This record gives sequence, C-alpha cells and structure tokens, in this order.
Amino acid sequence: MKIEREELIERLRELSNSGYNYLVKITAVDYIDHLEVIYFIRNMQNKKEEHVRLDLKDGESLPTVIEIYKSADYYERELSEMFGIAIEGREVKRLLLEKWDGLEAPLRKSFPWGSDYKSG
Amino acid sequence: MSDERFENAKREMEQLVAESLKNYKGPVGAFFTNLKEATKAIASGTIRWSRKNSLWPMQFGLACCALELMDFGSSRIDAERKGYLLFRGTPRQCDVMIVAGWVTKSVAPEIKRLYEQMAKPRYVIAYGECAVCGGPWWESYNIIKGIDQIIPVDVYVVGCPPKPENLFEALMKLQEKVGGKIED
Amino acid sequence: MLTRINVGPIHPSTHGVLRLVVTLDGDTIVDVEPHIGFLHRGVEKLAENRMYMQSESYMEKLDYAAPMAYSDLYVAAVEEAMGIHIKERAKYVRVILLEFQRIASHLLWLSAFCNDLGQMFTMFTWAMKDRDLILNLLQDVTGSRMFYVNMRLGGVSIDLPQNFEEHANKLLDYLEKRFKEYERFLEKNPVFIERTKDVGILKREDAIALGVTGPVLRASGVNFDVRKDYPYYVYEKLHFIPQVQTKGDSFARYKVRMQEMKESIKLIRDALKLMPEGDALGMPIKLISPPVKEKEVIVRRELPRGEGMIFMVTDKQRPYRLAIRAPSFINLSALRYIARGARFADLFSILGSLDPVMADVDR
Repeated sequence: MKIEREELIERLRELSNSGYNYLVKITAVDYIDHLEVIYFIRNMQNKKEEHVRLDLKDGESLPTVIEIYKSADYYERELSEMFGIAIEGREVKRLLLEKWDGLEAPLRKSFPWGSDYKSG
Repeated sequence: MSDERFENAKREMEQLVAESLKNYKGPVGAFFTNLKEATKAIASGTIRWSRKNSLWPMQFGLACCALELMDFGSSRIDAERKGYLLFRGTPRQCDVMIVAGWVTKSVAPEIKRLYEQMAKPRYVIAYGECAVCGGPWWESYNIIKGIDQIIPVDVYVVGCPPKPENLFEALMKLQEKVGGKIED
Repeated sequence: MLTRINVGPIHPSTHGVLRLVVTLDGDTIVDVEPHIGFLHRGVEKLAENRMYMQSESYMEKLDYAAPMAYSDLYVAAVEEAMGIHIKERAKYVRVILLEFQRIASHLLWLSAFCNDLGQMFTMFTWAMKDRDLILNLLQDVTGSRMFYVNMRLGGVSIDLPQNFEEHANKLLDYLEKRFKEYERFLEKNPVFIERTKDVGILKREDAIALGVTGPVLRASGVNFDVRKDYPYYVYEKLHFIPQVQTKGDSFARYKVRMQEMKESIKLIRDALKLMPEGDALGMPIKLISPPVKEKEVIVRRELPRGEGMIFMVTDKQRPYRLAIRAPSFINLSALRYIARGARFADLFSILGSLDPVMADVDR
C-alpha cells in the first residue's frame, strides 16, 4: 500500500493494533529525483505480510516509529547514515560507519562506485 | 761503517719481532681467545635453533580465514607438534602475528597498535587473499588493500581460504628464515 | 558508583570483531552498548555494478559459517526475476546439501559456545572434528571445503557422485551416536547447567517486539519457521516438526539447536529416499544472461541463524538495488534488553547463545 509521509505514524499504529506486530525490515531505494522508503510488517498469527511504501523528496525528514516497533532502532540508524536521511523525533548515532569522514552517503547513486575515500 | 749498518739491521729486526709479539699471549692466552669466539658461535646458533622451534602465534582471526585457523590448531592438522603452542590473547607473549581476514579502516589503528606492542624479534604472516592484496573487496570504499600497507610482512599465503596444510608449509618457511637458512 | 569497561574489538572470547562498552554497578550490568562496523565493506553497493551471477561469490562471504545457504538465497532471487523453473532432482539435491550445511553451522556454534563457558577446548576439538567430516563430504561433491559457488540458474553445477548415498548414511549413523554422547556429557554437567539455566530470559511479547528471528525466537515460544509457513523447494513433501521451547533462557536456545540438528538428520534420510533420477545441472554462466521479467523480487529462506530475506529491484544486466536482511543484525540488537540486570560473567553466555556472525552483522 502506498501512503503519504504525513499519515505514516497513524497508519502504522492502526496496523500494529490489528495484529501486525512484527517489523521485518525498513529499506530504501534511490530513484534519482526521489527516495522510496519501504516498511515490511508481518502478522504473527496468520502469517500475512504488508508492505507500506512512501516517497521522500530531497531534504525531507522521516518520522521515527520507535514507539510502535522497538526493533526499528537499528534499521533507522543504518538508513540515516547510508542514504543521508534525517530522522525527526529522536537523536540517531552512527552505526556502521563510525569514523566516516567522506562527505556523502555511500548508497546514493551520486556516490562514485569503486572510489577510495582517504581520511584527512 | 759495516758496524752501523749491522746495528740498524739488528734494531729493525728487533722492532719487527717486538711488534709481532705484541698480540701474543702465550699458549694459555691463545686458548682463552679461541674459547670466547667458539662460545659466541655456539650460543648464537643455539639461540637461533631454540627461537625457530618455539614460535608462539597470536590469534588474530578477523573473518572467514579464522575458521581455517581454528582447524589448523585442532586435532587433524596439529599445530602443536612443531612448537606453535597455545594461541595467546596478549601480544606481549607472542612472536608471530597471523593476520587472517580483511582489514577495514576502522580496525587498522588497532592492528598497528598491537603490532607495536609485540616484543622483538617479531614476524608477520599474511594469510589469505584479503590480507595479501585486498582480495575480492578490491573496489570497496572501506577496505585497506593489503596488510603490508601498514606493517611489514614476512610470508604471504595465497588462497581463498588457503587450506590449513598451506599454513603449515608457510610456518616451515618462516622457520628457515628465523634459523638463518634463507639469506635475505 | 558506575564503572565502564571496554570489551575491546580483539578479544579471545568474542565471536569476531565486536566492541562492547559495559556500564557496571558493582557486578550487575546496567547498560551494554555494542559498537559494530569493523567488518563493513559495502556488499550492497558492490553488487550494483556486477552482472547477476558475478555477485554469487560475494554473497557466500557474508555468513562464513554457512556459505551455501546465502548463495542459495541469492540465486533463488535471480531465478524468480528471470522466471526460470528449477529441475525436480535439483530441488532434492539443494535440500540435502543445505541440511548438511545447517548441521555444520550448528556444530561450529556448539564448539564456540562451550569454549566461551570455560570448557577449555574439549567440546571445541570434538565438534570441530565432526564438522571436518561433513566438510570432507561436501568437498567430494563440490570440490572445495569452504566456499562452494555451486548454485546455478535452474539447478546445481555438479551432480551428486555415484556412492554418495552410502557415504552419507554412514556419516549420519556416526553423527547420531555422537549427538547422544554430547547430550549426556553436557546436560548432566553442573557447571554448564548453572551457567545457562535461568540466564538471559526473553519473554514471548518482548521477542516479537524486538524482532529477533531463528532459534532465538523459537526458544521463547513463538512457532515460526520459514520452511513450514512459507514453504519452498520440497519441504511440503518431507515431514518434520519445528522445535519450540517455552522458557526463553540460554539453555532453551541450546536445546532448540541441538534438536534441530537431529531433525536435519531425519530430513536428509527422507530426501535421499524420495529423490528421483534425472538431470540436476543448471545453466552454465555466460556473459549475456537471460532476459529479466520482474521488476521487484522478494525471496525468503531459513538460514541456520534465522530468517534471511532479499529484496531486489532489477535492471537489464545488473541489480539496481540489492537489500539484504541479515538475521544476526537484529539478533545482536536484542543483547541490550536481555542483559540488563544480569551479572557480568553471564554476558558471554548470553552473547554466545544469540550466535552472531560479525560479517553478517556488518555486511
């Protein structure tokens, strides 16, 4: 299902109250003029899955869903440092690239493949 | 006139004999000088023999090649029969550092610090393609292309992962280097 | 007064390169913060400029304890993107090799876990010797001990040799005897029982909220196994039961893995009996790959450490985006919640029973 960025939190709260209580993954794809963020959520009783998609333009920030799903902590931290998305609502620290001194986020299409970022 | 020339010749002869007798210590003195040289030779040979037969490695498994290192220390290919006992955790008690696995920019300062904490004489073996030249991750943004960009390496073992028998042969070559057979 | 201890990246007891910053109050743990990323090399970015079948050997080095499982996950995603059907005999061959891989991975976990608890290399050498025998059998089939790269589009690269069935049955009989001996050795040992019973309890609601998978989830009472709920290959025809325990402590996680090894033995014996004759070879790797039909692909498999998933957006010759869901990543994030209130010496019992492989966490 495709939703807008403003109704993310209430939709996820509806889903989590109706039995979809297991978050599988949060991931993103970089189509060059916008980013698409996808949430995979599963119902543990009848084993059905739901994919929630939304579009993000340049400079928009993603609201945090940590009050609904506790497992979103690591996924949001990795997303924010790999794609350069700002997360609003809490402070996120870097997870995989702690001493990163390159200027851009690595998984964007504008980061050159095979480059060697030297420090200093 | 013939008396003067005879006197000069006699004086020269005495000087030559006195010079040649300067380092002569008599028969007992000669024995002790030779004994000192002989002991030095025997001692350095003994030290070299004992060093090469008891090289203690430091466990440094970072990634997949660490599983082959664990297999190298267990019962099929026994590392202890050649003297490589007890993989140690602390660098102060080790001679050899076997780097197994790929090295990223976050781990590199730790490896350099551990290498400098080892006591001399110390040796390094690069085990596996990733430690030799960067391996399959050659075009990644976070990888150091080979461990010899940070520390000096003595023996390179090639493979992905190399079999534990290859590591055995590499350690035997390192033994020859320590014991002095391979001139470098 | 709180003290902070750094369990550094190079440590004789951690499973790989992991830094833990532990805040202690006397002997009780107040907070554990894992720092990861020491083995990160950007596999998802590297796969974006390689042809489809060139990234298969990258996927194997993600989880080096069970490499064939990840390579099977990736090749299945590519096959679904191209609409290729797998041959019938090849499905059975894949299932047999994958279940052998599962036993080998759990034996490696057992040896490292008992080593962490202070058994000083006894279980380590016993279990590594059994794993060596399984790796020798896989070397007879594929030609390599550790990184096989034997999955091809539509099948496998080499079929099983002639005398595989009798060798496999002999090995399975030997392994059954050894597993009985391991249980007798461990479950009556007072030190092992005291270090694992009632240590690191994870309740059912917390397990679902934290998102853990695999044996960790099944040891807390949730009956979820990808082989039963989203079945693939021939698991519907083979009869097995997912093992579930209810207590949720370290001993329950050990028991789940021990029982899973025995179920794998039964699965292999059944699959060997039901396997049809025929051809199991897949397509050889060529420069120009078959045309791609689907735009987005989602594939799930049951890896030895949990549930792995690949989400791929395809382009003509190479993937546009490859997203990998690694089970060890999310299992390690649960360490913070489980270890609150435990003693410091129990930290390694909990970390060992969660079974993270650091190359899988960092990708």
